Amino acid sequence: MTEAIVVERLVKRFGELTAVAALSFAVQRGTIFGLLGRNGAGKTTTLECCIGLCKPTSGAVRVLELDPTRPRELMRLRPRIGVQLQATSLPEKANVREVLELYGAYYAIAPRAEEMAARVGLDDKLDRQIAQMSGGEQQRLALALALQHDPEVLFLDEPTAGMDAFGRRILWNEVERLRDAGKTIVLTTHYIEEAERLCDRICMIQRGAIVADGTPADLVARYGGDASVTIAADGFTPNADLHRLGTWTATGAQWKLATQGEPGLALAAVVTGANTAGAKITSLDMHRPTLEDAFIAITGETIEETS
Amino acid sequence: MLRMFLVQTKMNFVWYFRRDGEMIFWTLAMPVFFLVLFSFAFSTGPNSGSSRFLVPGIIGAQVLSSGFWGVGVMLATFREKHLLRRVYITPMPPAVFFASLVAYRVALLVAQATILVTVGALVFHVRIVGNPLEIVAILLLGTATFVSLGTIIGALARTTESANNIASVLTVPLAFLSDAYVPIDRFPHAVSSALRLLPSTQFIDTFRDVSVYGQSLAHYGAWIALLLLWTVAGTVISARTFRWV
Repeated sequence: MTEAIVVERLVKRFGELTAVAALSFAVQRGTIFGLLGRNGAGKTTTLECCIGLCKPTSGAVRVLELDPTRPRELMRLRPRIGVQLQATSLPEKANVREVLELYGAYYAIAPRAEEMAARVGLDDKLDRQIAQMSGGEQQRLALALALQHDPEVLFLDEPTAGMDAFGRRILWNEVERLRDAGKTIVLTTHYIEEAERLCDRICMIQRGAIVADGTPADLVARYGGDASVTIAADGFTPNADLHRLGTWTATGAQWKLATQGEPGLALAAVVTGANTAGAKITSLDMHRPTLEDAFIAITGETIEETS
Repeated sequence: MLRMFLVQTKMNFVWYFRRDGEMIFWTLAMPVFFLVLFSFAFSTGPNSGSSRFLVPGIIGAQVLSSGFWGVGVMLATFREKHLLRRVYITPMPPAVFFASLVAYRVALLVAQATILVTVGALVFHVRIVGNPLEIVAILLLGTATFVSLGTIIGALARTTESANNIASVLTVPLAFLSDAYVPIDRFPHAVSSALRLLPSTQFIDTFRDVSVYGQSLAHYGAWIALLLLWTVAGTVISARTFRWV
């Protein structure tokens, strides 16, 4: 079996609220799988159902062929998974070294606090207490706790939320390094850039249901829409050659080309056309469809809530 | 398993006691302060026996608050701060986590009792005369009783605040109604008889009679049976209602 995780028709209700509505997906071993969606879309609940923190209302979950709702199977699963939770608070008066040492004891591994601290950029803060650490530093420590016992499957819930650029780079490097080592990673995120950069496959989630899934490139190709070139130039009108590139529309002095071809080539052709006609270019823009375009096209909303 | 238990117990001690000045004060200095204060307040003259009453009484009250605060409220705090969730997803068995919290509190109790007995002996000439094995046995039983009852607080309270409130409402009156600081014989007979139905009274009276009055534990069979019953009830209710996540 090459699937590390199988989720079938997972439903989770909290009273009246349906957090997860009949969600199904499978994660291949050795891949990075992303659950992408707004806050409150059901990403965290789905992840928590995979690690035994949340009991499904109905449906089935298997992680490494084990059922996390069965206590005995969950016990066998725990040493094989690593988890970075969104809201983890560690004891305020604990320091980095002690927390790593304690979690090392939980997993019965040889102490490696120094090595782990260095991996997440906390090697100069081994004696720093939790209360004196920034949110981003605490997140990096949480990542080290998830990795320390070298798990087969890693669950990361909004791993870079609240992290600065330095923390994000560390996390992204670690995730890529773990993929190269053949680990399976599930991460939830509402950062498009993160999903696009890290994930082999993405499930877009809206109101507890999957609305689209595929590779990032696939999702962009299917839902991202056409690429476009926008030009404003005195006395410019697209000639016959330029019309063959796609569909042109005019808004005032501005012409916009929607194309399914390579937008870079279209841009070059448009510029050449304008120059040949002696039209003076006043503004020029190219847009290649992004995962964000795909997300908006699929869900009808932006990923960040706009107030 | 043993390593988990030992490291967790050590960390509990370092994180929740050694680095917490307030905690050191409340657990080590306050009981001694109470002993001195009440010894003089209740004393009707030299050798009036008030200290002899107070040393085991205050130790007993500490056993009570170890169970209610040290275990019950602590567990509610751990849950509210999402610490239990984090531990739940590791291979650490919940029972080991619980055992190391109790072990840490028992270690503190040993320190508290040692200090109280020492001050009692040096300042107030209180002598521990009972059979040491019987004293340890009744202390362990009392600890088991109040840890199991305290865990119910940790199981039922939804927040740290409500756990705190429940523990306060229980600990403060119980300390004064269970023969810990004030002899309940001073109340009307009907009241003192009713108060002897409390597990705290049963434990503190037995502990006092065995430790400073030199009675044999064998004479307290009925109370030991009742304390065992409280312990079983507390354990069953805790185990049924406690939520790790």
